[in-house]
Order: sequence, then structure tokens, then C-alpha cells
Amino acid sequence: MIDLDTANLDAIGRAVSDGFIPAHIYNDTELFEYERDRLFATAWVFVAHESEIPSPSDFVVRRIVDDSFIISRSDDGEVRAMFNMCLHRGMQVCRAEKGTAKTHRCPYHNWIYASDGRLVGLPFHVDAYGGEEGFVKDDQRLLPAPSLAIYNGLIFMSLDPDAPPLLDYLGDFAYYLDLYTKQSKGGLELRGPQRWRVNANWKIGCENFIGDSYHTPHTHASVVDIGLFGEPKPNKRKEGVLYHAGRGGGTTYKLPTTGFREGLSYVGYPEEMIDRMQTSWSAPQQDLIGSSGFMHSAATLFPNLSLVHNWPQVDDSGTVTPFISLRLWHPISESETEVLSWFAVDSAAPEDFKERSYKAYLMCFGSSGMFEQDDIENWASITTTAKGTMARRLLLNGRMGLDRDNQPLVAQYDDFSGPGVAFQGYGEHNQRHWLGMWNEAIQTEPRPVAVVAPGAPEGSL
Amino acid sequence: MSQSLSATPLPYSSEAHQQAHQFLVEEAHLLDSYQLDEWLGLLCEDIRYLMPVQVTRVDGALPDFQADMDHFDEDLYSLRLRVARLRTGHAWTEDPRSRVRHFVTNVRTFAGPNEGELSVESSVLLFRSRGDNSEAQLVSAGRKDVLRQSVDGRYRLAERTLTVDESVLRTQNLAIFL
Repeated sequence: MIDLDTANLDAIGRAVSDGFIPAHIYNDTELFEYERDRLFATAWVFVAHESEIPSPSDFVVRRIVDDSFIISRSDDGEVRAMFNMCLHRGMQVCRAEKGTAKTHRCPYHNWIYASDGRLVGLPFHVDAYGGEEGFVKDDQRLLPAPSLAIYNGLIFMSLDPDAPPLLDYLGDFAYYLDLYTKQSKGGLELRGPQRWRVNANWKIGCENFIGDSYHTPHTHASVVDIGLFGEPKPNKRKEGVLYHAGRGGGTTYKLPTTGFREGLSYVGYPEEMIDRMQTSWSAPQQDLIGSSGFMHSAATLFPNLSLVHNWPQVDDSGTVTPFISLRLWHPISESETEVLSWFAVDSAAPEDFKERSYKAYLMCFGSSGMFEQDDIENWASITTTAKGTMARRLLLNGRMGLDRDNQPLVAQYDDFSGPGVAFQGYGEHNQRHWLGMWNEAIQTEPRPVAVVAPGAPEGSL
Repeated sequence: MSQSLSATPLPYSSEAHQQAHQFLVEEAHLLDSYQLDEWLGLLCEDIRYLMPVQVTRVDGALPDFQADMDHFDEDLYSLRLRVARLRTGHAWTEDPRSRVRHFVTNVRTFAGPNEGELSVESSVLLFRSRGDNSEAQLVSAGRKDVLRQSVDGRYRLAERTLTVDESVLRTQNLAIFL
């Protein structure tokens, strides 16, 4: 465990609670250790979607900071996740990214694990260990994920064996998460991810997606210029509502239409998909679009899962097609992030819609996306600038939407059917909400977790 | 994705190979010198420009790319839009512009697949340097191209499939062309 620099932590806590952001938090080696050992050691982190591993023995390998896990569907259909480290000498058992395998074989000494993590092969068990007397092989398995839970097919893991129930963690953000991930009873199917590394701190993307409607008109001016996406004009973005609820928050656009079906049709959904949304979403969820007249756009679920829903023009004829993307801001270090970006589409959508929506995604987001390109340029620049001595003397102003007495500049927006706190217009309410959760996580000492010694003979430890 | 070309390539001394090689070198010159409108002029109306996402699998299991996810899956409309965006004055990721150089090598030319077409394999290494305080980035890829001869006798690019040699790209975005 790292040394506790409580003075530093106290200063961060005071600044954040006043709406200021110590600039060095975007490139600070010591702080990254707090994030790893406190925040990511306890939070529920998105790791995969069930549609990535549809059949028994399908697996993907994903990480939470440095810890690699095999996320696998075992023969009984259950999704399981296990720490990707051989119990014997610590090899990474599975070195692929994805695939289908009934067993995972350690390349070092040929220990073999079933798709549910059970140790099923141990060469020369009797000769080398004296059989069960020396190494209790029965019921040994790769260390299971301390906590695992699934919501709408989204697989979450926590390294905390005593993590709160996922639904409690999500809180009222589940209302909004459904809008992205449950357009029909069957839910999403994911393609990808595209993966690439950027020289930016992982927090910047999380904060951007949770509520930065203020950057859109300027950062993304080029996509309006070329007619790719007409919405992010300064006055249109200002009419959107920013909300935060539970562990998440997001941005919306004000629709020029009234009515549930009209709103979804405006952003390009075909009738049959709107029918399914009407069946899948609760009346209050439908009201967000129908009676309140807002369409969800970008969002972040704490800590590092972001979602986006946009509706660009994808061809010469002016067709507008919506797409959904999920992205994980996977921290590599204080100054490097791996982006995992998935295209997501409702599994029941018609094939031609899926293809158009995929095209819309590729043009806008992901490794080549015309929106995303300019974001990353800015975030890498912030990270570089945050490294030095001067950044330790600067409290960035994150107070947009607050007056001098820390009161909101405008009253909460009443005519919004979604749960949580909602404001219309520009403001950094959501970023402060995210930073508040971040601050609480890094200030909280983790509970000790028991150490295990698989195979230890009874009474030997 | 195109099949791997196992046949014997045309002799390097053949006119077809030399034309294909010259096409690739001249194309690299346009990309390196940011003459992107001229580059668009080298593309067929029905261009398919594809870069699948590579993925590491166990025991060399195939395919080693994701069948349904790409970094690029472009037609002429979307390529034109990408070039137009870089010209808006608001494309911050290329402002200031990257210094890029495309090294094109290992060129092998084959007849076909159709009359008046050549299949061309090559390797491309892109060097990209941004600003003055970040390290240069490299993208290495194999190319499988189809060049089609127009009525004016010039070759144009009808298909390009890029096999990028990383499953996790180490460049901040693909605001460039390979």
C-alpha cells in the first residue's frame, strides 16, 4: 500500500467540494495509485457484454487496471469471470483477447483450467505433490471475480467481495441506462471493441461524456460544417437538459417535436423499433422523450463507462440514422488510457438499420470517428500540461452553473420526467457529481481482503 | 476480406507491375504532401476502403480479425466527408497538421480479379509526428488493393483492405489515411 499523503488528499477534497479541480489530478503518479488501490479496487466496473460471449466456452479477456480476467460462458450457460493467473507460477493462463475454448492451458507447466475456472489438469499430481495429500486439487479454480453482476446484458465486476448490490450502486441511473441498452426485451448486441491507446488521463473522457455540452459547439464545429451532425450548434446544445442520478449522469438534446413516436422518428428510428421501445420502456421512461421532449445523448456511469447516442446524416440523401456506442476509459497509467469502443445496436433491429447505424458509428465515433478525433487531441494536451510544477499551483475552475454562494445559477428544471437532478443550459453540475464520487472513492481506505492459498494442505497455513 | 494471394506475382520487370508500383508511390506522395483532394481523384466511384480490427486468438485460430468491426469501412461519400472535415479549419486533431510519411514496400502485383484490373499487395509504414512535445507514432499495415484501369488508361483504386499489425492501435486516432 502506498504512503498516505493526507495533506495532499485533504487539499484535493476541499477543492473539489468547492467546485475547483487541482490541475495535477490529470497527471499525477501518486494519485493514480490511490485510484488503482481504492477506487478501482471497489467500484463496479463494466467489463463486457453478454452478446460478446453468446455460446458455452466463449470468452473474452478484459482488465480492471492491471488485473486481467477471463470472462467466460461456462457449459451451464452462466457467465463467470476469473483472475487470469495460473495458481502455480503465476503465468497469464489465457493470452488471447477472445475466442472459444473448453479449457485454458497454462503454457508454462501445462496446468489446465475448464471454462468455469476449475483446475482440471495438473501433470504428475501424485509424483510431484504426493497427490491430494500435498496439493488439494479438488475444487480448486482460478480466483473468481470477487463480485460479478449483470444488468441488461452488461457484465460488471468489482474487486470488492463485499461490493453493494449492482442495482443499489446504479441507483436511479438505471432509468437512463435502459434507454441505451434495452430498446427491446432482447437488449443490445455489441460489435468490437476497437481498441487504441491515447496519451490522456482516463478521467477526462469520463467527465466529458457525463455532462460537457459546453464543448460541443466549438470542439465539434467541423462536423456541423460538413453536415455530418446538425444538432451541436451553440443555441441547440444550450436548450438540452443535463441530469445526474445515482452513479451516473448525462446530456440531452431538446427535441423540436412533441410526442414519443415523433421524437424517435425525428432521430431516425423505424416504426417497428419504436414499437419495441414502447413495450420495453416504462411509462416514465417514455415520458422523457414524449412529454418532456428530450433525447438522451452522451452519458457516463461512474467510474469509467461512457455511452453515446447520436443521429448523424450518413449519406447524400440526408438520411439521419441513430447509433449507440459504449466505451470504456481503461486506465493504463496517470497519462495513458486505452479506449475500448463498441458499436451497440438493438438485437431485434432490422438488418438494414444495423448496417446504416454501424456506418453512422464509424463516421462519428471510435478510432476513426470524426467526433472523437478532436476530443482526444484536447485531452492529450490537458494531460501533458497537467504534469508540471505550475499545475500543482492551479485550481481549475469547475464551477460553471454555480453562483458565488455555491447555489445553482438557474433553478432545477421541473418539466423533466427522469429521476435525479436536472438543469437546463450550460453547467458543470454533472462533472462535479462525478468528481464528488471520485473524491469519495480515493479518500476511502479499502477494507482488507483475505489472501488465499489454493491447494494448501489442511492445517499448513 | 480478400483471399491471401498465393500465386506467383507478375515479374517485377512487367509493365503492369511497374504501373502498379508507380501508382502506389505517387499516391504516397499525395498523402505525404497533404494533397488530399488530388488523392480522392485516384479513387473509383465505387471504392471500398476497409481496415478490419485485428484480434489475438489462441493457437492461431482464424480469423485473426473481427468479422463485423472495422477501424474504417468507407465509401467515396464518407472518404470525401473526412477530407472535407480536415479542410474546415476546425479539425483540431490535424491543427497543427501531423507530419506524415508513408513508406510503401514489398509490392507484389497479380493479374485480375477482372479484366482491366490488378491485384496489388504491399506493406505500408506510416510515421506520424504531432506538434513538438509528443512522441512520433507508427502504424504498420499490409495492403491488398485492386487497381482498375479507366477508359483514359489510368489506374484508379477500386478496393483497399488494410491489415493493421496491432490489435490495440498506438496512435491517438485515424485522422489520416493509409
